[in-house]
Amino acid sequence: MQAYLDFMWMTRDFKFFIINVVADFILSLSGVVAVFLLAERFAGIGVWSRDQVLFMLGYAALVDGVLEMFCSYNVLHISRRIGRGQLDHTLVQPQPLWMALLTEGFMPFSGCWGFLAGLGISAWAFGQLDLALSFGWWLGYGVHLLSSCAVVLAFSFLWGALAFWSPVGAEEISSEAVSFTRQLKSFPLDGLHPILVNGLLSVVPVGFVAWYPCRVLLGINGDAGSLWVTPLFACALSLVALIAFKKGLHYYGQTGSQRYLRWGHRS
Amino acid sequence: MDKLDRNATYAGDIAVELKGVDKTFYQRQRSARVRDVFKNLFRPTLREIHALRQVDLTVRRGEIVAYAGPNGAGKSTTVKLLSSVLAPTSGTVRALGMDPMQDRVRYVNRIGVVFGQRTELWWDQPVSASFEWKRVVWDIPQERYERMLGLVRELLGLDEFFDSLARQLSLGQKMRADLGLMLLHEPEILFLDEPTIGVDVLAKRNILDFIKNINREQGVTVMITSHDMDELEQLAGRIVMIDRGRIAYDGPFDRLRSHFGDRRRLRLQTGGEEAPALEHAELLQTQAGWHEYVFAAAQVKLPTLLEAAAAQVPVLDVETHRAPIDEVIADIYEEWEE
Repeated sequence: MQAYLDFMWMTRDFKFFIINVVADFILSLSGVVAVFLLAERFAGIGVWSRDQVLFMLGYAALVDGVLEMFCSYNVLHISRRIGRGQLDHTLVQPQPLWMALLTEGFMPFSGCWGFLAGLGISAWAFGQLDLALSFGWWLGYGVHLLSSCAVVLAFSFLWGALAFWSPVGAEEISSEAVSFTRQLKSFPLDGLHPILVNGLLSVVPVGFVAWYPCRVLLGINGDAGSLWVTPLFACALSLVALIAFKKGLHYYGQTGSQRYLRWGHRS
Repeated sequence: MDKLDRNATYAGDIAVELKGVDKTFYQRQRSARVRDVFKNLFRPTLREIHALRQVDLTVRRGEIVAYAGPNGAGKSTTVKLLSSVLAPTSGTVRALGMDPMQDRVRYVNRIGVVFGQRTELWWDQPVSASFEWKRVVWDIPQERYERMLGLVRELLGLDEFFDSLARQLSLGQKMRADLGLMLLHEPEILFLDEPTIGVDVLAKRNILDFIKNINREQGVTVMITSHDMDELEQLAGRIVMIDRGRIAYDGPFDRLRSHFGDRRRLRLQTGGEEAPALEHAELLQTQAGWHEYVFAAAQVKLPTLLEAAAAQVPVLDVETHRAPIDEVIADIYEEWEE
């Protein structure tokens, strides 16, 4: 159903359709091009070769693309919905909240262009790298990709839950959290002070969006045990986000929405 | 205060039941003085807002109940409690035998909610797409969907804008589309919170006719809030009035009028600009030889007033009618404030 709505929206005007596609492509590429040019100029960054950097950039673009495709309509920017009082729309639908949120953000037509750009970059990187692509490796790649998406989503929901308590002050907090991960995701973190690296792999888990999973997948750190780190961290962060969100939702049930703004996908 | 005399009801006959419901909100108070900045931050003063206090309310199946009160009286809070988006502080809320918060998914499948200032329509989509979306999300069987779609398209006149984008509709068209959308799954209860706010006279009449029609034809229970009392009187036999969170009146409109004095208007044409002085009647205005008075029918009879007028000046013409219910209600609100 959401795919149908998205298709109808996307195809309402041919000029609009083309502009949308081009803009999404440019946005996806602009997010990774600076780091790629650095890698190109210096034949790599630190222990990463140019092609490995390309692989990481493709991976990062795919994470963005998947989230764009499945978590649009302010599902990823959940604090907007909470802060604007629009969650009421979802609560009067006869389906569990998680199901509504998982389905409402699905935009396979208008939201797929970033994903396609990520596929393109990844395909180019695979062509350059000499990887032994077994079934197990692909499975690991898929699990890591989903885990990275889960980390970004959970990080957004964890901060976004604050909007239950402070709808005005925290309305844009999810967007800021997501934007933070987007800005830093494409930088290799090797060589930073260990405290900073640990901070970027825990408190602000930007390292799990692309850098750490790609190190593992490319065998850069050579530690097989670390295969589990990203999925486990994603599970743990999702659990914390779930608890925070449920607490916020309970609070919302006590206070309701004190304001309603007409922005968003509905009036 | 009067309570509606009701026959004993059995559980299956009750659509909505609120027992001893309290709803309290806390509002942070802030002083504008700079010296209070730390107090505002770390030890803010919280003001308790009692949106509802010990509310007991029963609505039977098939009833249309008008739910009225001044701004901030607790009307929207009640509708939210009954729409699964808000929990009471204490007391029990039951509707269709369910707890709206605990049984949310099952419950909202059997009710319809319209908030006058919001829309459930997909903003950048044609109205038809929102209807299709509703069919899928509410899992409405095809036969029922087509039957109800035909009904609402005809009764609400949706055809003229069914393929237009929701954001291009007028307020009245949007409300009609929202009402139609709400009815697709054949809800057993409708909660309408200010459904005609900002809507023009013609659209308002269409909406009211439609609500009456589906209540009569389909036996749908309706609970409606509005500031427009005349509109509520046209629609509902029973009015529940709420003031500062308490139910202040629950009964028929007629009894409300008689309780607060059956106010009538009297217009006399005398040809002159000097209005006759009438005991127990208050002169409202004089214009082009017409003099308008208001009086309480229980206090003074109409023939007495006419006799008194005729004794002073020649009376050329007479008009009389009941004062609009809005006036009665305004008097009640004023009395409550005092």
